[in-house]
Amino acid sequence: MTDTAVTTTGSAAAPTGTGSMGTRVIGLAALVGAVFLVLLGLVWSPEDITQRELVRIMYVHVPSATIAYLCCFLTTIGSVMFLWKRSVWWDTVAYAAAEIGAVFMALACVTGAIWARPTWGTFWVWDDARLVTSAMLFLLLVGYLALRKVPGDPDVRAKRSAWLGLLLVPNVILVRQSVEWWRTLHQKATIQPTQLGAEMDGLMLFSLFCGFVVGTLVFAWLVIHRFRVAWLEREADESMLADAIAERRAEAIDSGTGGDPFGPRTGEAFG
Amino acid sequence: MSYVLAAWIIVFATVLIYAGATMLRGRRLARQVPPERRRWM
Amino acid sequence: MLRDALLIAGRDLRVEWRSRVATNQVAPLALVIVMLFAFALDPARGILARAAPGLFWVAVVLCALLIVQRAATVESGDGVRDALRLTALSPAGMFLGKVLAIGAELLALEALLLVGVIVLYNAAPSTEGWPLVVATAALATACIAAAGTLYGVLASGLRVRDTLLPLLLLPVLAPVLIGATRAFEAAFAGVPADGWLWLGLLGVFALVYIVIGALAYGPLLEET
Repeated sequence: MTDTAVTTTGSAAAPTGTGSMGTRVIGLAALVGAVFLVLLGLVWSPEDITQRELVRIMYVHVPSATIAYLCCFLTTIGSVMFLWKRSVWWDTVAYAAAEIGAVFMALACVTGAIWARPTWGTFWVWDDARLVTSAMLFLLLVGYLALRKVPGDPDVRAKRSAWLGLLLVPNVILVRQSVEWWRTLHQKATIQPTQLGAEMDGLMLFSLFCGFVVGTLVFAWLVIHRFRVAWLEREADESMLADAIAERRAEAIDSGTGGDPFGPRTGEAFG
Repeated sequence: MSYVLAAWIIVFATVLIYAGATMLRGRRLARQVPPERRRWM
Repeated sequence: MLRDALLIAGRDLRVEWRSRVATNQVAPLALVIVMLFAFALDPARGILARAAPGLFWVAVVLCALLIVQRAATVESGDGVRDALRLTALSPAGMFLGKVLAIGAELLALEALLLVGVIVLYNAAPSTEGWPLVVATAALATACIAAAGTLYGVLASGLRVRDTLLPLLLLPVLAPVLIGATRAFEAAFAGVPADGWLWLGLLGVFALVYIVIGALAYGPLLEET
């Protein structure tokens, strides 16, 4: 992550980007952790007895999926809190979490498919509840983001998005339950996914743990930055509007007060 | 092993690109906002 | 609240009856979809009869989308929302009313589609499966109508509503599609005992959406 390159002014002056002391530390830790994870996951850890090399995909797949579900919960929490407290802060949290969740859910699905191809002989199976639930959650997050991207009054948008975000977790639970039953009731699971963790040795578990740590750091860094970007977006919209109003007002004053029914005091009255 | 590398490269590249894009967006937006309003709380 | 619901449901159904959109456009479209499936899946090999329950519910969900969009359009006329708020009807009642209206239209559509499936796909529920078919249709209709009304008001008033609503609503209806299809499969195969379990899932889904919808309808109508 390039935020370590941001060595400009300290926290006293207004920041030039979304970085800050805190995020720089997190970013640096995530970078160091990622290098360590690469060494640990790809070089140092042994291969699995049954899955051979393929177990190494798990070190990035499992953390991605976990972050994505975490983001989903965060979006719902942010939505509920917005409806309760009516604060822009929570609305922005929900937005930031939803976008990051969509990115990581896509990653989890893609890495899962890459793992499944050599393991199960196919990219996708329909009789695993986790797969189908994840794909549906990805689509739900995409829908949420689509609603957010519709231009319009920010307050109305926040309210609509909050109700949609609130439904995210119940939907995921319902989808999961339905797929689970579908699988167990109608076709006996043809493929038994290897129980993860059952036959993992110490170094492999440690790699997975390391993946979680790096994932959490990356998640924290992304959430903070994405939150600030969303915050700035809102401020930019507002300041653009304020600038436009000021400009118009200046024009009105410049062009003489004759045609202006409110006279020259307009600028002061609204300023 | 190629499967493993593909998965790792996809994950790392996506996260790096997304993080970079988020930062660039932040920089670009920060220029549009007057300094006294560049606060996040 | 119940009186308000019946009032709104009566109004929506009257509007729908007078405009004839449901009878002249949505119902024929349902038959077109049934035909399209037959073209896509070679009927000679018996795929059609085996897939009939799933195809039935896919057709219902696609048509429900149009009905939901119609119901939301009725509200989006100039000043209709303000007029509704001035009537002092309870928002929960309004929500239930719209659910009832959409549900009634859907039930009529499902009856038509069922006849279509029996005639054209050569697949019919077994004699002992009929109670399950009726119960499943009733519950699944409640699910689709409740979720459709809620998402319809969420996306209402937006210029992009026609494209946004399917994206929001269709993934949400996935559990209904799974549950209703499995229950129908059991009824068609003559083993209805396997299907009754799914009604629990549909019931929970309907309950969640009716409760959240009744709560959300007022706030969403207010400021959008």
